[in-house]
Amino acid sequence: MPNFARRLLGRHEVILFGIVIVISIVIGVFNRAFLSLATIFEILRGAIPFALMGLGILPVLLLGEVDISFVGVAATTSLVAHTLLHDMGYAGGIGGYILIALPLGAAIALMVGLISGVFRLPVFAVSLGFWLMLYGFNLFFISPEMRFDLPEGLVGFYNHFLIKVQDPIVGETGLHVAVVYVLFAAVAIWVVLRHTVIGRGFYIMGGNREVAVRTGYNLVKLLCVAMAVNGALAALAGVLQCAYKRFFDPILFRGAELYVIAAVVIGGTSITGGRGSVIGVLLGVIFVQVITRGLIYLGVEPTWQQFVVGCMLVIFFILTSLRARLLGGLSGRSGLTRGEGK
Amino acid sequence: MATFLCVEHISKRFGGVIALADVSLEIEHGQIVGLVGENGSGKSTLIKILSGVYTPDQGVIYIKDHHYKRLAPIQAIREGISVIYQDFALCPNLSVAENIAIARWVFSGRRMINWRHVYQEAEKALRQITDQIPLEAEVGQLSAADRQIVAIARALLEQAQLIIMDEPTTALTEKEIASLFTILRRLREEGIAVLFVSHKLHEVKEICDRIVVLRDGRKVYDGAAAEADIETLQVYMTGRVVEPVKLAAHPPAGEQLPLLRAKELTLKPHFSGITFELRRNEVLGITGLLGSGRRELALALIGVLRPTSGEIEIEGRRVKIKHIWDAWKLGIAYVPEDRINEGLHLPCPITANVILPSLPRLSGTLGFFNYRAHRNLGERWRRELGIKAPSAETPVRNLSGGNQQRVVLAKCLATEPKILVLNSPTMGVDVASKAAIHRFIRALCEKGIGIILISDDIPELLQTCDRILILKRGRIAHRLYSHEVTETLLHKMLMEE
Repeated sequence: MPNFARRLLGRHEVILFGIVIVISIVIGVFNRAFLSLATIFEILRGAIPFALMGLGILPVLLLGEVDISFVGVAATTSLVAHTLLHDMGYAGGIGGYILIALPLGAAIALMVGLISGVFRLPVFAVSLGFWLMLYGFNLFFISPEMRFDLPEGLVGFYNHFLIKVQDPIVGETGLHVAVVYVLFAAVAIWVVLRHTVIGRGFYIMGGNREVAVRTGYNLVKLLCVAMAVNGALAALAGVLQCAYKRFFDPILFRGAELYVIAAVVIGGTSITGGRGSVIGVLLGVIFVQVITRGLIYLGVEPTWQQFVVGCMLVIFFILTSLRARLLGGLSGRSGLTRGEGK
Repeated sequence: MATFLCVEHISKRFGGVIALADVSLEIEHGQIVGLVGENGSGKSTLIKILSGVYTPDQGVIYIKDHHYKRLAPIQAIREGISVIYQDFALCPNLSVAENIAIARWVFSGRRMINWRHVYQEAEKALRQITDQIPLEAEVGQLSAADRQIVAIARALLEQAQLIIMDEPTTALTEKEIASLFTILRRLREEGIAVLFVSHKLHEVKEICDRIVVLRDGRKVYDGAAAEADIETLQVYMTGRVVEPVKLAAHPPAGEQLPLLRAKELTLKPHFSGITFELRRNEVLGITGLLGSGRRELALALIGVLRPTSGEIEIEGRRVKIKHIWDAWKLGIAYVPEDRINEGLHLPCPITANVILPSLPRLSGTLGFFNYRAHRNLGERWRRELGIKAPSAETPVRNLSGGNQQRVVLAKCLATEPKILVLNSPTMGVDVASKAAIHRFIRALCEKGIGIILISDDIPELLQTCDRILILKRGRIAHRLYSHEVTETLLHKMLMEE
């Protein structure tokens, strides 16, 4: 089935998967330790919070909007949940945190959506304000310091594994339970995007706003749904990350919004809306994780890592553009020649 | 035949402007009605009233046996009135099937999508009119003609009884127009009515059963298409007799060096072995079907595309045009066909648009430019070309199509070009503005500018050009003097393989 093969190779996700494999093998050549089950599990664990945030931002990007406040939402909700639970003397596990943080995150993000929807502002502008507000709120009203006073139930969370492996270098590690959250979120969002009227609405609005209105979609409602999902998943990611790191951080994820958006865009999501998939988001997040981890295994100094990751991103985008041009067929076609000819 | 829709004594005013005054109209099942009129004649207001976007101030609408004082958009759709706008209102990022069928799923109030049903419904609607377009293709990859077919299929799926098409042939070539007409005739046989809104009288006369002409918001003509001739319709449309441009009997003799000479220009796969000359005081027409390379050839002359081999000489001197700025410097100006995207900065005033390509010439030391010192340039061109705007500081966005086209012309002329390349300069422009542009082209050429006119409007080519080149698959198939051929002959030469 050459036709089927060509269609498969034309998919961004398939190419990206291939690149991830190739990069892993290259790193593995230099450092055998990289190609082990333990490393894969480590990478997956590190990817979990980013995957959740990536899945959350996906519907927003599909609409043609860009949000950066979700990292602030993650920081505030996890810190608020911790403060409340700590004052109550809570000694349980992650469940109590999720119960508080998730609805709170959805509510804060919903506010961003409502403000930009009602006042017809770009989400980006409103989210800039919320980003500053939320971090400012954390530092001023809650706690300017990191809080290491974890409840008992959360202490061993870092090592809750579904499958355990012993590795000569890493030691005992495994597939972290939180992978289940990611799988659940990914399937749920996939079903919504692919099989529900509201999910298709995200794509329609990103493709042509006019059509969305004429078809009968309520644009403010679509935006609010997307933002609420975004906020809820960011809150979940925040709680998980704090549980991993074993402290609650008022400036959690500050700056990480760029990594998340970069990962999602690497996964084939269009920054201008209308294009993107759940698989692409997951692969994009794994791509970024593999590179950052891989650099450690290659012995690149931590101070250099950001620079190298940045270079890799730029190279990746150039390659994608070249590939699109090759698939587009004619060389030397400029923007002026679009339209005519098939 | 039974009447599907009937509007009686419709009036609509916006502020002090009367958009429609006492217009009555009847459309029967399976009838193709042409609605013609110049810009501002009230065509779009009428479309919007029929589709429920505007409420008329006076008058009633009857659809089948229902009677409406005011029609909501949703009611219009339920009654089977479907509008296909010029931009087709499609999502470029989604598949053909989804574009056709999704609106119905949303309207029916369902929450989940059954893709098998979506594809079945879309297939049923699309296969009524064509079996060329694959259902899973992405709409953004389709040609304008195919996108239009997708929009028609969507209307059919919505059980349309009346399809209103707003300027449906603007983005199509001759061949595509012919296949659109075949589709429209098939719809007519199935009892679906079409309201065909257009500027192009030839097409309206060819496809329509009845023609309605609007002028200044009033209906001035309503009759069978077979009985109307184009000259009369033009008089009804403009309210006056539009003088066609008369050509000089003899094309200018080739005395001195040609202004421009192209030798064996080749850029595969677009065109190859193109050789021609352009003289002073001459309008050279270049025409051809979609994909014939006419557009690419024009772009090669102005440095947007670079030919892989061949030579260009200007006044006997060999030149290399690598960039659009080289073309401006050599005195070649280009008027693009897509004036909105390629020719104008919509939010900027007329002056800024006009000055832009002349900037290097007008700038002082160190490349600084004094905007105020050259403000009068915009005003001068506004007056010279009769651009209807309160002042030269009016943003171009607020101008009508014909006037925007004049701004693009002014911008090119401000560079004082020797050669002017015009790509479909009258596309989407009404009859009166069109004649004015034709007259203007002739006047420019009298002044000694060489003009290359790329167009597929056959009367336009014959009326304005001295010589015509017909491109086929990237090669020059015919070289003609326009006084040697007739419209029918040229049409035949253009269409034959």
